Amino acid sequence: MAGERTPTAVVADDERLMREQIVARLKEAWPELEVVAQAANGREAVAQVRALDPDIVFLDIRMPEMDGIQAAQALAGAAHVVFVTAYDEYAVRAFEQGAVDYLLKPADPERVAVACKRLRERLETKPAPMEELLAQLSRQISGGGGVRPREYLRWVQASVGSSLRMIPTTDVLYFHAEDKYTRVQTEGFEALIRKPVKELLDELDPAEFWQIHRATLVRVDAIGQVTRDLRGRQVVQVKGREEKLEVSRSYSHLFKQM
Amino acid sequence: MALSESTRESLETMRKVAIELWWRFFDWLAVVPWKTLVFVSIALIVIGGMLQAAIPFLVFVLASLIIKAVAGGKRRADLTATQAVERAESERLERAAAEAHLEALQAQIEPHFLFNTLASIDQLILTDAPRASRMQQSLIRYLRSAMPRMRDGERPTLGQQVELSHAYLEIMQIRMEDRLRAAFTVPEGLRTAIFPSMMLQTLVENAIKHGLEPKAEGGRVSITAEVAHGQLVVSVCDDGLGFSPKASGGVGLANIRERLKGIYRGRAELVITVPEGGGTCATITVPYEIAAASAPAA
Repeated sequence: MAGERTPTAVVADDERLMREQIVARLKEAWPELEVVAQAANGREAVAQVRALDPDIVFLDIRMPEMDGIQAAQALAGAAHVVFVTAYDEYAVRAFEQGAVDYLLKPADPERVAVACKRLRERLETKPAPMEELLAQLSRQISGGGGVRPREYLRWVQASVGSSLRMIPTTDVLYFHAEDKYTRVQTEGFEALIRKPVKELLDELDPAEFWQIHRATLVRVDAIGQVTRDLRGRQVVQVKGREEKLEVSRSYSHLFKQM
Repeated sequence: MALSESTRESLETMRKVAIELWWRFFDWLAVVPWKTLVFVSIALIVIGGMLQAAIPFLVFVLASLIIKAVAGGKRRADLTATQAVERAESERLERAAAEAHLEALQAQIEPHFLFNTLASIDQLILTDAPRASRMQQSLIRYLRSAMPRMRDGERPTLGQQVELSHAYLEIMQIRMEDRLRAAFTVPEGLRTAIFPSMMLQTLVENAIKHGLEPKAEGGRVSITAEVAHGQLVVSVCDDGLGFSPKASGGVGLANIRERLKGIYRGRAELVITVPEGGGTCATITVPYEIAAASAPAA
């Protein structure tokens, strides 16, 4: 036991009741431990740990600004980390495999006592490195597990009348460039957005929208039929719409079998 | 006897095959382009000529051309109509399946919410017992109204849905304290209006989960209901973090859209807007209908 120095800790959770609970249980299990500060989000926790240099930091996993995993990454071994969570399957499994300390909410007094005993033993050693585990967890917590797929545009923001609407891309039949704007056509209405077709092309899921012309992106599901007009050019008929969209020659390979 | 039986049977089969073949030919005739038909006709006449049977072939070709000219249009329309009916039917079945699946989902209560709430109650029992009791009452009310209702013929009302979200927000207010302010503006008279289940709750949970909980200083969520132009308009607005255009987490919203489509066939919609001060506003508009008077309050 550290004779001359009192061990110190920072407790971080966005809910005050939960911070109080951890602090109360720690007091019972480890009376000498001094909680020097409480943080309401990840960023505060990092700032307090840097300012106060505690031995231990208790980090809730889901917090605003910066979650517990990101905070631990930012602290990179500055203190012994104990994660706190109400329910995070991935995390708990990873903690068990990686021998990382964690507590489940509501904090069970016996579990807290065991964790405190382990921390006392570890206090003399340097905090264990866990970059790899944290990087993996960070991906899982925000991406839902495994390799994170590329994020495509799912909503476009457009002015409809006087309001700013979020239109799901699944509602869009096609995008068509017009002068300074891009026209967004849905089944029920049309709207103008400032994002050019070229930018949309980069951000949209290529399996969802096809470019059929320099100025036109069409929803694949919305293609009713492809025919040739009198001049022999391919035109796309959009389901449920009258207008026909021209397919320029450089994209005609999309409808090869015609 | 046995022989004639089997002969009759094979004759019957042949008759069926012939009818089937005739209709196939007829369908083909109806949809084939004139150009192709003329080409095939010429080929047939040539073949007929080579087989020294030009006359029967010529008659056959002429008959085909006449049939196509006279009955082709109608038959073509019939075929398209049949296809359309089949498509509509499969869409209806798909929708029914999706709805059943969604109902199963409804019964799920987010474990994170449940465990965090129980942990808060656990702490309040020691420090503020009356408040612990109030929070537990809210949790019971929430769970009771979140359980799927199996009594058939009973359509969910806006009152039930508001009750569920009210209990949920009471719990979240105890947990988030001054980081959450909630306001309900739902006229008493609209509580008996029909409103699909779990939609309001999904919007409220979204406002908390994506808008206010991740915002350090928190904010305000307001739930309003009104009748405009014979439509019931229910909105959930927050001044939280706002919408990420790449948020794929729109599963809840996509489900609402699907269900609205399934129940109201284009007479209802979900619109997401961005209020001037930032945040998110989600508005569901459905036809305004009042529940049958016999529905009990509980």
